[in-house]
Amino acid sequence: MDAEAQESFREFVANRSSALLKTAVLLSGGDRHAGEDLLQNALIKAAGRWHRIDEPEAYVRQVLYRQQIGRWRLKWRGRELSVAEPPDVGADEEASAAAELRLLMRGALARLTARQRTVLVLRYFEDLPEAEVARILGCSVGTVRSTAHRSLARLRTLAPELRALGPAGAERRPSRDYSPVEVRS
Amino acid sequence: MNVDELVRDTLREQAAELTVPGPGFADRVLAVRRRRRTRRLASAVAAATAVVALAAAVPLLDAGKEDVRSAAVLDGSGVLAHPDQSPPRDLIAAGRSVLAAHYTAEPVERPDGRAVFTRTYWLLDPETGKYEKDDRWSFVAVAPGARTAAVLERELPARRIGLLDLATGRVDRWITVDHGVGGLAFSRDGRRLLATTYREHPDLMVRMKDESGGVAWVRQFGGTSSRSGFHVLDVEAGRGTWSPVAERRDVTGRQDFAFSRDGRLVYAQVVGERDGMQQFHDLAGTPVPAPAQERHLRSDVPARLSPDGRLAASGLTAEAEDTSWSAIRDPRTGEEVARVRGAHLLAWVDDRRLIAWERAPGPGEYRPRLVLVTIGSEKVLPLSGVREPDGSFGTVEWEPVFVERRP
Repeated sequence: MDAEAQESFREFVANRSSALLKTAVLLSGGDRHAGEDLLQNALIKAAGRWHRIDEPEAYVRQVLYRQQIGRWRLKWRGRELSVAEPPDVGADEEASAAAELRLLMRGALARLTARQRTVLVLRYFEDLPEAEVARILGCSVGTVRSTAHRSLARLRTLAPELRALGPAGAERRPSRDYSPVEVRS
Repeated sequence: MNVDELVRDTLREQAAELTVPGPGFADRVLAVRRRRRTRRLASAVAAATAVVALAAAVPLLDAGKEDVRSAAVLDGSGVLAHPDQSPPRDLIAAGRSVLAAHYTAEPVERPDGRAVFTRTYWLLDPETGKYEKDDRWSFVAVAPGARTAAVLERELPARRIGLLDLATGRVDRWITVDHGVGGLAFSRDGRRLLATTYREHPDLMVRMKDESGGVAWVRQFGGTSSRSGFHVLDVEAGRGTWSPVAERRDVTGRQDFAFSRDGRLVYAQVVGERDGMQQFHDLAGTPVPAPAQERHLRSDVPARLSPDGRLAASGLTAEAEDTSWSAIRDPRTGEEVARVRGAHLLAWVDDRRLIAWERAPGPGEYRPRLVLVTIGSEKVLPLSGVREPDGSFGTVEWEPVFVERRP
C-alpha cells in the first residue's frame, strides 16, 4: 500500500467506520468487541486490495456479512449475552412496555445463529430487498426467505412474550410460494 | 405491532446507542495488517518444513536399538523445555515430537543483482542433545527418529542428495539424481525421500521498493516458479523415479512437495482465495483430488493430522489480548470440533496435545514462543524463549523443524 492509498484508506475509515461499526455490532448480536473485530478484519481485507476495489463500502459490507456467517459455528454456539435489566417503569406505561419488548428482542437476537441474525439485519436494519440480500450472501432468494421466516419463528421461541405480536410479512407467505433452494457448487 | 417491526425498532435503537470507533481506528487496522503479513511470511517459510513434521511410529534406516548413545536424549515421552533459550541451544522435545533442527534465513545478494533467501541450520546432535550450527547445507530434511538427515549442498538446484549422520556430522552416502533438486521430504516411515525438482534456484529474491521508499528483497511471487517435478527415491537403494509436474500460475518460488499421510500421493501449497490451499498429485505427477482424510487440512499448518488420524490441526481462528486459539477440525467433514490455544500449530505431541507458536504476553508486536498446548485446556507450557522480531520482513529469526521421536 503506497502513501496515497493509505491516505484514501484513512479517509474512508474516518467517514464510514461509524456506520459500518453499527452494522458489525448488530451482526455480532450487540457485542461491541466482537463487532470491532469483525469490522477490523473486513477493513484489513479491503486494505490488501485497495487499488482494485471500485466501491469500498459495498466491498467491506459484503466481507462483513459473509465473514460473520462463516464464523458463526465458532463464535456463537452456546454463547449468550447478558442483557441489561429493563429500565424502571415510568409514568408512560405503554412506552415502557415497548421498551421492555425491545430489550427482550435484543436478548433473543443475540441468541440467533449468525446466519439468522445476518439475514434479519440485512432485511430490517439495512432495509434491503430479498434479491439484494441473496446476492450479498451468495444464496438464493428462497434461502433468504426461508431463513428470515425461520429466524422470526425462532425469536418467538426464544422470547415467548413476543408471541402476542402479529405475524410478519415474511411469515404470512404460503409455504408453496418459497422458491426452490439453489444448490451451489 | 408486527414482529418484523419490533426487530426493526430494536436494531435501530441498538445502533443509535453505539458510539463511533475511536480516533486512529484506520491506523490500528493498518498496524494489525502489517503484523499479520509478517507472520504470514514466516508461515510460508515454515510450510516448507512442514514436510518433516509428519509423524508415525515406524523404524527408519539403520539406526539400531543397540545405539545406546542416542537413547539418552531421544527416548522417552517426557517434556524437555528450555523457556530461557531463543533460539534453542539444548534439546526441546515433548511426547512423540522432537525439535530436530532450527534455521534462520536471510537474503544474500549474488553478483547477478538478484539475491538468494539463504538458510543456516542448527542441527540436533543426538549424542550431546545440543543444536550445533552446520552451514554447509542449503536445505535439510531430518528423518523420523532424528538420527539421519537428507541434505542439499549450497548451490541449488542440486544433483546429489547427502545422507547425513547427525551424530558424526558426516555424510554417509550420496544419492545422485538426473533432475536438479531444491527441496526434500521424508515419508512417514522414513524409507522414501521426496525430492522436489526445480530448473533454477527456488529461493531467488527480487529487489523491490518497500512502503517507505527503501529497497527490499522479496521472494518471487506470481507464477514464477521453476518447479519441474519430483523424484521419489528409495533411501536404502538410493534409486527412484522422476515425475514431471505441469507448471501452474498459482505456484510461486519454492513450493516443495510432501507425501500424503499414506505416502501414495504428494501435495504442495497453491495460492488461492484462501490461505493454505493445497493440490495433490499422484506419484506420476497428475493432479488428483485430496484424499478424504486430508481434504480439510491446510498446507500452512504443519501439524496436520493427529497420530490417530481423528483430528486435523487447522489455522488461527481467534485472538484476544496475549492469547490466540487455533481450530481443531473433524478431518472428514471439516467441521470445527474444538479450539486449542496457539497461533500456529506445528506438531502433535500425542492425540490431545500439540506444540505451537503462541504469542508471549506483552504489548505491541507478535512475539511468539514455542509452547505445549492441550485440547480442552487453556493451559500453555512454554518450551522455548520468545522469538523477538527483528523489525524486518526480509529475514527469518529462527524456524523450528520437528520430527517424530522414536521410542
